[in-house]
Amino acid sequence: MLFRMIRGVLFHQKGKMLLIAVTIALGASLATGMLNVVLGVEEKVNKELKNYGANITVKPKDASLLSDIYDVGEGEALNAAYLREDELGKLKTIFWAFNIVDFTPFLDTRAALKDGSEVQVVGTWFNHHLALPTGEELDAGVAGMRSWWEITDGRWLNEADPNANNEIMVGTALAEEKRWTVGEKIALTGTHGEMDAEIVGIFDAGGDEDSQVFATLDAVQALTDREGKVASIEVSALTTPDNDLARRAARNPAALTSRDYETWYCTAYVSAICYQIQEVITGSVASAVRQVAESEGTILDKTKLLMILITALSLIGSALGISNLVTASVMERAQEIGLLKAIGAKDRSITGVVMAEILITALVGFAVGYFMGFGFAQLIGHSVFGSAIDMDTRVIPIVAGLIALVTIAGSLPAIRMVLRLRPAEVLHGGH
Amino acid sequence: MTKRRMFLRMITASLLRRRSRMLIALLSIGIGATILAGMVTIYYDVPRQMRAQMRSYGANMLLMPDDGETLDREKLARVLTRFSGEALVGAAPYRYVRLDMTSRQQSFTTAGTDFSQVIKTSPYFSVEGGYPEKGREVLVGKEIAETIGVKVGSDMELTWQPTATATGGDAASDRVPGATLTGSAEGWSGGAVSVTAVLDDTAKIKELTIDASTQTAEFGGRTQTEPEFAEQFIGKSLPLELGKDVDALSGATVTSTAVVEALNGARQATAASKPNTVRYTVTGILTTGGEEEGYIFMSLEDMEALTGEDRLDVTELSVSAEEDQLNAYAEAITGSGEGVKARLVKRVTKSETAVLGKLQALVFLVTVVVLLLTMICVSTTMMAVVSERRREIGLRKALGASDGSIRVEFLGEGVFLGILGGVLGAILGFVFAQVVSVNVFGSSITFQPLLLPVTVLVSVAIAAVSCLMPIKRAVAIDPAIVLKGE
Repeated sequence: MLFRMIRGVLFHQKGKMLLIAVTIALGASLATGMLNVVLGVEEKVNKELKNYGANITVKPKDASLLSDIYDVGEGEALNAAYLREDELGKLKTIFWAFNIVDFTPFLDTRAALKDGSEVQVVGTWFNHHLALPTGEELDAGVAGMRSWWEITDGRWLNEADPNANNEIMVGTALAEEKRWTVGEKIALTGTHGEMDAEIVGIFDAGGDEDSQVFATLDAVQALTDREGKVASIEVSALTTPDNDLARRAARNPAALTSRDYETWYCTAYVSAICYQIQEVITGSVASAVRQVAESEGTILDKTKLLMILITALSLIGSALGISNLVTASVMERAQEIGLLKAIGAKDRSITGVVMAEILITALVGFAVGYFMGFGFAQLIGHSVFGSAIDMDTRVIPIVAGLIALVTIAGSLPAIRMVLRLRPAEVLHGGH
Repeated sequence: MTKRRMFLRMITASLLRRRSRMLIALLSIGIGATILAGMVTIYYDVPRQMRAQMRSYGANMLLMPDDGETLDREKLARVLTRFSGEALVGAAPYRYVRLDMTSRQQSFTTAGTDFSQVIKTSPYFSVEGGYPEKGREVLVGKEIAETIGVKVGSDMELTWQPTATATGGDAASDRVPGATLTGSAEGWSGGAVSVTAVLDDTAKIKELTIDASTQTAEFGGRTQTEPEFAEQFIGKSLPLELGKDVDALSGATVTSTAVVEALNGARQATAASKPNTVRYTVTGILTTGGEEEGYIFMSLEDMEALTGEDRLDVTELSVSAEEDQLNAYAEAITGSGEGVKARLVKRVTKSETAVLGKLQALVFLVTVVVLLLTMICVSTTMMAVVSERRREIGLRKALGASDGSIRVEFLGEGVFLGILGGVLGAILGFVFAQVVSVNVFGSSITFQPLLLPVTVLVSVAIAAVSCLMPIKRAVAIDPAIVLKGE
């Protein structure tokens, strides 16, 4: 009998139930969409912030001050220390390897031109192809880490070209000063070799790099007889904003309790990643570039908080909307409920029937709404960040619980209220 | 009873009698309007607030003197007036010189700057200890501190080696704090005015003796005989400007000018002529993870006292503006004829544009989705509330009401609810946006007056549309069927 009644309502009052189902579906899709976005936004914004370049620099332990402070020309340093190029792949083997987005080595020198003047030549990776022992393959280099460079003429240097080691890119300021153009050949004389380089691109970096020459790492190593050596590495990593523990750990990891140490080591704090880089790169000091690392934390925190508050507003909005409509629909059925009561139905069974109808409608609405909401999240992910937002399974119970709660909260008091009325009054239609 | 009064009475009666239902409708419109007003306010405010947050990445514009030109503090102040109101977050002037640390036979790049501005332009600087606050204090980069082993509170002696020798001036002694300066300048009709100034520990004038015996006694001579004139120099640091730092003695302008010139000349000459060694206290160790860790920082005043020159190499500006606006500022400054060129720090500006663009698009899409869904939600509720009254519509029709009058009445109710809900929502929405702004960005937002009519209009439109649809259906049906309840 109960099933027949419920079925009756669901099929005979299609219009009304459809309205409820649509509203619940909309509310559920709003909640699902926003929760998925808010849970995925940190990762997406973090990736966007990689635009600002490296947040970690790795230098040899002993040589950090040499060229900066003593004005010793590169390549002449007496006991200059270097990092090993063959160890770079190890960056992708640390605990947080997955968070290392990009990295590139640097080695600079001064090279003489034909007219006797000197230019600074920076050797680096552009789009260096790495095949890791783990089977992973990736392209690392400045092409990904200097997103703000504007190629004013020519193109990016491509390491896949057979002639790549004889190609260079030149900063705008230098190109203007020397009146160099793309395609021109320039003879560069280093401390231990020479290079007949062709300019393939001119870039505007809006900084010191505008007066430098960029060549492949191999080429600069050959110019200065420093095979397999690099002077510094820039690393771009996805990190978790620092908290108190991270700040304590950054000062001295050894002072932490073993439990704190574990927590710190296994969280993607910039200091933890630095520490792990130092473990795999021999004789290195990895330090966080505070300008990037610190700001990243601020922006990430703000964005997350903003999204959480907007989500809270839309959750409250859809909750109120649903419970409102449910209340309205129950009240609309006052006559029917009055009739049921008049022919002797118990309050409890009336409540049961009405609730069952509404909850079944809500379930249908939720199922439709969940997928709609997921679609909205993907729409936002693709159009804003150009990538899908991961489906977070935590969202399902949250939204289901929310829908159940607001549906019950919206209908129960209304049913009670209608039941309290005398059947004759309700049926009569007056209030 | 006139027709209009009857109409009003019907609407108010219906609203009052059917309190609970109308409350539901009002609540529904109110929620919709709140979300509309709140989200739109946030959407418009987020770029501004986020841009302010983005300034934590530091300077996005550099000011440098043109080739062959110089930049000093006065010129900088003039250039900075070109920035409108809140756009300029900070402007940190820098002057770089290499100073010798005699005890270790090493030299370090030292930057003279204004620390109150550095805090604004480089908020990511992490200082162990504190920034220098008084004269003769320095901030040392971490790499240097580790190499030479200084700590917060230690002293270090730095020597400035002049690159050019001074010409002219009556320089006699060091111009460092605590020194005595003597100088002279040409006064009235070629007579020399001589000054002797004793400086205190902070390089401010402690005592000043003026010899104006060559000047006419009743005019220029009074600079020597009237002590009030000399007194106004006490406690001031050099160089001085007449009419700004000190006032000329009336009737003795030429001689007053000569006194100031003599003092300034003495300062310049003494400072430029000799190596200058000063002892500084380290107040903080700087960690940045960048090349700043290899520098020593001191205040511009200390730098000027040490080298005797008011010269700036570069000024870092942190400007809160869009990329186009930044470009406009840079062009205006470069083309202003001040001999200063402005360059954008591409790394910061380009990345900021990219990241902000994404964030804005994110908030935009979220706003659209939320608004769309909320508005549909509102209209379904309104539809439910109205279609409930089909029996009433049928009854009225049966009693002879025309379709038009029924429509007008229901529409009137809808519009009334729309206005009420819209006003309520606009206020609540602003409160919500304010809460978000204060919690997320720590600053408040101003109320957009335009938002009130817009919110009300949208609410009325939604209420009216969602009323009309069910009414149309109810009106179309035969009253008898409606009343029967089928």
